[in-house]
Amino acid sequence: SSVMDPEPIVRRNPPGTKAEDFYKWPAQSFDEMDTTLAVQQHIQQTIRQDFTDTETILTVPPGQDEGVWKYEQLRQFCLELNGLAIKLQTECTPLTCSQMTATEQWIFLCAAHKTPQGCPAIDYTRHTLDGAACLLNSNKYFPSRVSIKDSSVAKLGSVCRRVYRIFSHAYYHHRHIFDESENETYLCRRFTTFVIRYNLMSRDNLIVPIMDDASNTSNNNSVDQ
Amino acid sequence: DCDLEFVYDDSDIYENEISEQYTYTEEPEFQLNKESFEKLLKSKDYENWSSLSNENQRALIMHIIQTLDVSDKSERFEAVRWVLYLVQGVFGECSNIEEQKTKCRTNCFLLYKLGIFNIVQELLMMEIKTQPCPDITSLPSNPITPKIPPTPYYWCWEGGSSPTPPTAVSADKKSNIPSLPDSLELRSLITILYTMVETLRRDQHSDSDEHVKLRKDFFTELEQGLNDKEPLIITLFNMVCKFCSHTSFILPMKKVLLLLWKLLLVSELRWIFMLCNHGDEHRWGNPQCGRGERGRGYWGTTGVGGSPSWRGDGGPQCHPKPQRSPRTPPPSPRSSSNYAGSSKPPISAASRGSRSYRASRGLPKLARMTSKVFLNQVRQKFIGFTLPGDLTTVAGLPEPTQDSLKILQKHAYTPMSELQVARESEISKCPLTIGKTEVISTEIPERLYQAMLPHIPQYMIALLKILLAAAPTAKAKTDSINILSDVLPQGMPSTAVASLKLGIDVNRHREIFVKSISGLILLLLKHFKLNHVYQFEYMSQHLVFANCIPLVLKFFNQNIVAYVTTKNMIPSLEFPACVIGEKTEITAESFDGMDANNIPCWRNLFSSINLLRILNKLVKWKHSRTMHLPSIISGPNHMVPTQLLVVFKSAPILKRALKVRQAMFQLYVLKLLKVQTKYLGRAWRKSNMKTMSAIYQKVRHRLHDDWAFGNDVDAQPWDFQQEECALRAHVERFNARRYGKIGSGGSGGGSLNPSTNDDYTPVENNLQNLLKEEVELPIEFRKSYDTWLEREVYFSNTDWDQLLS
Repeated sequence: SSVMDPEPIVRRNPPGTKAEDFYKWPAQSFDEMDTTLAVQQHIQQTIRQDFTDTETILTVPPGQDEGVWKYEQLRQFCLELNGLAIKLQTECTPLTCSQMTATEQWIFLCAAHKTPQGCPAIDYTRHTLDGAACLLNSNKYFPSRVSIKDSSVAKLGSVCRRVYRIFSHAYYHHRHIFDESENETYLCRRFTTFVIRYNLMSRDNLIVPIMDDASNTSNNNSVDQ
Repeated sequence: DCDLEFVYDDSDIYENEISEQYTYTEEPEFQLNKESFEKLLKSKDYENWSSLSNENQRALIMHIIQTLDVSDKSERFEAVRWVLYLVQGVFGECSNIEEQKTKCRTNCFLLYKLGIFNIVQELLMMEIKTQPCPDITSLPSNPITPKIPPTPYYWCWEGGSSPTPPTAVSADKKSNIPSLPDSLELRSLITILYTMVETLRRDQHSDSDEHVKLRKDFFTELEQGLNDKEPLIITLFNMVCKFCSHTSFILPMKKVLLLLWKLLLVSELRWIFMLCNHGDEHRWGNPQCGRGERGRGYWGTTGVGGSPSWRGDGGPQCHPKPQRSPRTPPPSPRSSSNYAGSSKPPISAASRGSRSYRASRGLPKLARMTSKVFLNQVRQKFIGFTLPGDLTTVAGLPEPTQDSLKILQKHAYTPMSELQVARESEISKCPLTIGKTEVISTEIPERLYQAMLPHIPQYMIALLKILLAAAPTAKAKTDSINILSDVLPQGMPSTAVASLKLGIDVNRHREIFVKSISGLILLLLKHFKLNHVYQFEYMSQHLVFANCIPLVLKFFNQNIVAYVTTKNMIPSLEFPACVIGEKTEITAESFDGMDANNIPCWRNLFSSINLLRILNKLVKWKHSRTMHLPSIISGPNHMVPTQLLVVFKSAPILKRALKVRQAMFQLYVLKLLKVQTKYLGRAWRKSNMKTMSAIYQKVRHRLHDDWAFGNDVDAQPWDFQQEECALRAHVERFNARRYGKIGSGGSGGGSLNPSTNDDYTPVENNLQNLLKEEVELPIEFRKSYDTWLEREVYFSNTDWDQLLS
């Protein structure tokens, strides 16, 4: 190639990339993204730009299929929830939390098994994330990430319902871990907005009080705006 | 003295199909559901369900879903009750039945949309698993030994007498008899699934676009479910097996069977829909089995439904005006197309000419092979030699013979099965060339077959066992399975009216069993027959081995006219009538006044016709099985499995059944008589000329079929064992080739090697590879191999030259 050509941009983290250089490539508009994974790329880019800007992250680019959009968002949530799960592992054990509860009202069954059963909270967390990953990557229901059948989109609701319990457990039983993680990611806030916007869960079931004191939390912890 | 008013269809009208899933003894539970749901509404400060906004309804269902995930059993079950009540149309808020129906439909769609169907399915799995799980492979699985019948058949022999309502007296001797409360959870879950399937599978003109779409999604989802490790259909089949092998299990078998039947019906509808859309030319392109005609067969209705029945006495025949009783379904587009298909609408007996005879029974036909045989015969006769391969040259044949040839060729057809058999035999000759080109479809029946294949024999035996137990003439035996655990209440009735009511309930319960099993078996046979004839043969052979033929014959050896017109039903106790409007006290009078001679019991006539059709499917073109029908008369016969020697006579049974005045029913009876006529002998024919002419009038002709006077019977002694074994070998080869280990491994006494394909894998002859192979030598050999060397190598003289010369 000639010397006149600008260096082509490679949007990758090749082996040996230093931590501070991770994802350090110029942003791209959604229209320019020319891959089958454009939606995911777009979502991750907006998150990197400002993870506190829940509104922008959740705004559907014009012309984007809604089913795929919901799918990719949920995929991203599960991906990031692994971070919370890892933090939880440090103190949530079968001994401390033998059941999946949030408020003491309900104990939940773990649906990842062939027949649902009661699991300790940390196992519930792992199994549910695992099960969600399996479902979202399953060839049967989601063979394509460009177009998705309505009957498969319908499955996202129950994933949301189950995944949300991880937030609520963390909030009610491991508050400092939850706060730490939330301040770094705004994940629960974003998730709550997401499920309300797409009617995936009812407000009654969203028991983590995130919407009301969202401003307080951000002020107290001086998160950059 | 008129024909029975009856329209055959895939199933009864919606209202009946819904109410039949409940027994009358389940009535108190409706109120419990209602109370529980009202408590829920109260806790949320809602007045009632109907006045809630869509938003709030959704939110409430979300709350219910959340509760369904809870691990506390009693809390979870309350949520099941809430769903059940929604599915039951929130009947407490309805003033009439129509309203309840509409609400039920709306709720079913809403619940499906929010994912309840799947959640309930998961809960069902869990509920089943909480019962100890026996290994179903341990069930009787040796299908080839009909001498040791896998099923003991005990029948009460009271041909002619009407079935007496069983009294519950025998039950109250013991105290811990399984009864309704034992299966409460399972029943509730299955009721939800069944109501949703039955509601969603039917389309309505008033459906909104969203409903149409949801319905499509529902079908797609059910179809996708067949790819699961254990599809719902298989789970249910396994429940049936479990129920039969371990009497300690308390499973609500009637509901299981109804759900199973409906799921198969849905998958069939879906499949046929696809066939019709894609226009499978290979299957449909055959000119002699025109699309419309075959299509009608699929839908379960045939042209004969509209023609008047036959009367043995030859008296004037009357035909009811096409008015419909409330029990018969409204004219659907497909049943009215039957009339449109025939040359004239059904007409009165007086004006009925030969033309309408023909229209009502279908055009005559014959297998293409028959016309070839005929051509060869006449050429041999008139010109002295045959022209193999030439089907057109008629030179040298007299004109009348040419005319008959024309007619034969006009009506000739090649059955799909013949092509499939030919193809299969070609593949077995060249498995590595032709076999490799075979494309196995991924259609619904194919996947269904693969899923069922490992346990088809057990499934068939189980279904027949239950059918036996549910038969109206069955005697309660201590060792037979108990199908009444999901109808008997905990306490026994104390008043006469109550026990009368329970008697009717029990009879109704049994009838619904027969209905669902007969519908189920017939559907499966049709499914498989359309997909591949060997799949059909596999299933039907197992039915035969499990004594399906005598079982069905015994079924007809009751007062069948009484059976198809019984009224085991109390309208005011049917759901939803029992929960809506004023409650009427049940008195002895409630049971009277339900007799009207020409109004049949839809479900009983439906099951009887199904059983006749099953029998026809089993014996068609199977001389050895046909022989069973009359050979039962002729007494000891070494070829016949022992239990068939029980003296019962199919011809008189069938002849008696002709008294049922319904054209379709009679047609299938006549068909069964037709296939065995030539074995019945001259004496029988002479004294049954009226039946003979009825066959001639009503049953489709097969040209060149000497069904009545065939005299070559003695020339071909049909050997049951031999013929069945040959068929079995073909079927097994087919299964082993196409499905490998699942086929031969699971079928039990497979005589074939694990895989015939082993014969065709090339022999490894690369010296390097062979020497590299690790060989594990026994320890004894390693200890004393030097002795072996001495003896076998150094001291043995081998004349190597001989090898070379």
